[in-house]
Amino acid sequence: MIESAIYGLTIGAILYFVSIGLSITFGTMRIINFAHGMVYALGVYFFITFLPRVGGNFVISALLAIAAAIPVGYAIERFVIRRLYGESLDYAIIATYALLLIGTDAIKWIWGTVPQQVTEPIGISFRFFGGGFPLYRVVISLSALVLFLGLNLFFRKTVIGRIVIAALDDSEGVQCLGLDVNKYFSIVFVLGSCLAVLGGILYAPISAADPYMGHDILLIAFAVVIVGGMGNLTGTFISALALGLVIAITGRYWSEAADTMVFAVMAIVLIYKSYKA
Amino acid sequence: MLDVKEIDAAYGRAKVLHDVSLNVNRGEMVFIVGRNGAGKTTLLKTISGLMKPAKGYVSFEGRDTRGLTAVKLARLGMRYVAQDKKVFGNLTVRSNIELAAYASGVAMPSAIERVTSIYPDISKFMDRKAGGLSGGQREILLIGRAMVGSPRLLLIDEPTEGLAAIVIEDIMRILTRMKEGSEVSAIIVEQNLSVVNRLADRIYIMKEGKMIREIADKAQMTDTSEMENYL
Ligand SMILES: Nc1ncnc2c1ncn2[C@@H]1O[C@H](COP(=O)(O)OP(=O)(O)OP(=O)(O)O)[C@@H](O)[C@H]1O
Ligand SMILES: [Mg+2]
Repeated sequence: MIESAIYGLTIGAILYFVSIGLSITFGTMRIINFAHGMVYALGVYFFITFLPRVGGNFVISALLAIAAAIPVGYAIERFVIRRLYGESLDYAIIATYALLLIGTDAIKWIWGTVPQQVTEPIGISFRFFGGGFPLYRVVISLSALVLFLGLNLFFRKTVIGRIVIAALDDSEGVQCLGLDVNKYFSIVFVLGSCLAVLGGILYAPISAADPYMGHDILLIAFAVVIVGGMGNLTGTFISALALGLVIAITGRYWSEAADTMVFAVMAIVLIYKSYKA
Repeated sequence: MLDVKEIDAAYGRAKVLHDVSLNVNRGEMVFIVGRNGAGKTTLLKTISGLMKPAKGYVSFEGRDTRGLTAVKLARLGMRYVAQDKKVFGNLTVRSNIELAAYASGVAMPSAIERVTSIYPDISKFMDRKAGGLSGGQREILLIGRAMVGSPRLLLIDEPTEGLAAIVIEDIMRILTRMKEGSEVSAIIVEQNLSVVNRLADRIYIMKEGKMIREIADKAQMTDTSEMENYL
């Protein structure tokens, strides 16, 4: 049971890394961004490509992959997302979904379709209540907590963060003060892309990289965002961890239903929210 | 300083403003009255650049504003205070002012001084979440926030709507002092005629998306019986 809990928190942490960008994008720009899954997968493939070239150094390769993903995220925001502001939601879904498909095919074309394994960087396990826990998973769980606290500081203490918080609430009000909301959205969009890539890299040693990895994680990340409340940063954190636990615990007893259970929880939350409203 | 020339505006297919014209002179406080749904808010949104006119144009300080965004217009000195008393609710009062200061390149101490000079009591709730303030306090914060950085034109949408008489007096005092300073021009949408006739330099009446009457004569302004027909 404790093993499942730690596994759940690990998955939850990864989901948090991936979901936070989606949540902010929806909260600020009202755009459902499927291309997030493309950046996520692409970043992991960058990482796998760099890894042997930097002598297998996990951290350096991760930093390079994130740096390489920045222009991709920026280009998506600048040339696709920004043209979709204020348009109907469907356009954004179609356009960003197209990007996801293009990205997936590009990965298949460049790196092939065979899943790629990544070795776990820490490789230490410790025993606890008779179970074995890889230290790596504990590190991932803790890094999500660090990210949560760090983002809180960023959004509370910096002017850029406060502008984004204000814009989540009242974007027109921010514009009418003379602040170019797009510029700040662009910054957090790229930040969200980087965090998704980091999440993907951290997850790679636990699962494996395959061209469709972006599709798989994205649907669950959407569920996280919906359960946590779109644009609600604390809600996203709690919901990511909670759904991670749902996946791990369901998976332990009935592995086929693990992902389905996430959407069952999402449905229940949606029904509950619509009752309250 | 502001010239609105025969504009039409629409939400999708629904045309809401028809051939609306209006002008504001420097230092003038102009009021717009009209029933719910007359198009007053739509007019302010179009002037502020949040909506684009389908026909006609707005000129601000001699500049055609077609092609300028709301952000650019705000930087040129236009400030729109929306109708719903919507402050940045998740931020403190201080941070609300901070964003206005940051936007207009004003140092924080002088921004705070600007707002407290308008309404000294605001210093008592500087560190409270703005979302938890009363309606009157939020309206005052919005007007104060808009005054940071010496704007040239304020567009204020129904500042006294839903407020108690005593708070309306506070708002009136703020607007009166603003008028006496006369460095700023204003267009104020207002349904409370006692506010209108105490402060207006000129009054426009809107009905069903049209500008139907302009009152510039002092005697006519104090007699509210005619305006009442349009409320
Ligand atoms: N976002 C919108 N989409 C479609 N129609 C709208 C929208 N906002 C306003 N309208 C319509 O435009 C017309 C004018 O609305 P507007 O808000 O400008 O009126 P108003 O004079 O400000 O009214 P009030 O006194 O209630 O604030 C109304 O018929 C309204 O239903
Ligand atoms: Mg209105």
